[in-house]
Amino acid sequence: MHIKGPAWTFGRNVNTDLIYPKMWFRPTYAPGEMASHLMVGIDEEFPNKVKRGDVIVSGQNFGCGSSREEAAAAMKEAGIGAVIAPSFGRLFTRNCINVGLPVVVSPAIDEQVNQGDEIEIDLAQGFIRNLRSGYEARLPPMAPESLRLIQDGGIANYTRRVLEERRKAAADGGIKPE
Amino acid sequence: MHAISKIIAAHADRKSVEVGEIVNVAPDFVMLNDRGAARAADLFRLMGGDRVFAPSQIVVVFDHHYPPIRQQDSVSQKKTREWIKEQGITKFHAGEGIGHVIFPEKGYAFPGALIFGTDSHTVTNSALGCVATGMGHSDVASYLALGYNWLRVPEVIRFDLYGEFRAGVYAKDIALRIAQLYGEDAAPYLGVEFAGPLVSKMEMSERLVLCNMVIDFGAKTGYIQPDEITARFVSEHAPSRAWTPYATDSDSDYSRIVDLDVSQIEPLVAVPHDLSNVRGASELSDVRIDEAVFGTCTGGRIEDFRVAAAIMQGRKLAPHTRMMVNPGSRQVYLQAMREGLIEVMMQAGAQVGVTGCGPCSGCHQGMLAPAENSITNASRNFRGRFGSPEANIYVASSATVAASAIAGRIVSPADFVMH
Repeated sequence: MHIKGPAWTFGRNVNTDLIYPKMWFRPTYAPGEMASHLMVGIDEEFPNKVKRGDVIVSGQNFGCGSSREEAAAAMKEAGIGAVIAPSFGRLFTRNCINVGLPVVVSPAIDEQVNQGDEIEIDLAQGFIRNLRSGYEARLPPMAPESLRLIQDGGIANYTRRVLEERRKAAADGGIKPE
Repeated sequence: MHAISKIIAAHADRKSVEVGEIVNVAPDFVMLNDRGAARAADLFRLMGGDRVFAPSQIVVVFDHHYPPIRQQDSVSQKKTREWIKEQGITKFHAGEGIGHVIFPEKGYAFPGALIFGTDSHTVTNSALGCVATGMGHSDVASYLALGYNWLRVPEVIRFDLYGEFRAGVYAKDIALRIAQLYGEDAAPYLGVEFAGPLVSKMEMSERLVLCNMVIDFGAKTGYIQPDEITARFVSEHAPSRAWTPYATDSDSDYSRIVDLDVSQIEPLVAVPHDLSNVRGASELSDVRIDEAVFGTCTGGRIEDFRVAAAIMQGRKLAPHTRMMVNPGSRQVYLQAMREGLIEVMMQAGAQVGVTGCGPCSGCHQGMLAPAENSITNASRNFRGRFGSPEANIYVASSATVAASAIAGRIVSPADFVMH
């Protein structure tokens, strides 16, 4: 998986209350609705400024706090190419993988990137580059199961496939449906 | 193997698992709160789901927006009520309290269990010696369809707590001390076990506070080795529950072991807007308190009410201070009424509201205006958590919150005569 795009930078311990404030929670969302509230806890204009293919680079513990999946889903919907930080909140990491958004751990990356720098990432080959400064680093290997989920476009596609396999097996008389 | 690994292995139908491995696990119970149920049911349909895999293992709790104040929540709760009926989900609790308070109360949490929930504070349950962790809505939707979720086996860090509590110091202060010493990412993706001579003397209520806070150090789950206190708690709350005790094999099953002398800890306060930004309560006497927020999954148990009432008995809130109280569960509310604790708090001037999450994360009444200061026994002082992003939230123990509400400024409860 190859990603290239300009960076938006944020600080440390950016919690999900800031990434997706609660006032924008809805029981269901129209297409594009979540993206229109991305990062408004920090910058109200962000949804108008961010473009598809941009990447987010942040300090340690990005996405800590509340489990709200909207934080990751809004980024995916806005077309964010990848989110990169020295460490992430656990639930945010999980939610990124499940929505098919590359979540990239890279130590001290926040010290190597300025806003607007062109960032290149290759998940298969395991590197990150800052094309402006020439900085390059190896990426710690991602669990193959997680990489596969991201490449598959997230857990929805995975679930759909397994359900279809089960239904087919049941129809073929293999196993009984639940 | 660590007990956490053994619990994960048992739920993955495996003899053993390795740290770092990703396995598919079938949990004992999955908690869906009001928002989680609405979102997960929606995503479940989008994933092609028809019938829920194991309806008897789903527990639906309305705690965040119950009773609803917005029509969108009423509409979504109505849909959820119809959905659970259609799916044959019978474990349903509306208005009975916060999921993380009622799970141990009603025996859904027990030693050796694996529990998932659509909320980050699901980790609270791990005080009973189980693995309990928050999940996303898509995660839970996938579970509803397939009956399992993926889970990475975590490394485990252990905090050995020893020494004695000083006057006015509680488990909450230990959690704040850990945040102060090791940061909000003290334990990213890790299991956090609490052990040592102090923990073996701690009642379940204090253990639940410790484990509730591990998410706010980045952890996947807490853990406390089940002992007589655990066994007594489970026999009171889930007498018919059969449970398997798991034990950790050796100290080499920990990535790190940290000693913490509790005797050194004073009443602490996390100041805006990071939990690791911790100061002594006695240093903050110039901070005026406009609103005290009392309750939540961190501080809404009966023991919290006993501590607060002992401080507030015969006293009044400072004239410029208001106090919002939301009991963590109906059981807590009833017990606090029976013991006269609600009366003490109301006589002092507190507003007592419905069971549920309270103002925390903007759920119930008590929002802050810009530049107002709030002190709370909840777990998070994130900007904007109780209303205006320009307000300031201070996080402390139940005792510090009650004492500060009376004083109208932040004070150490150690300076207060308890009744």
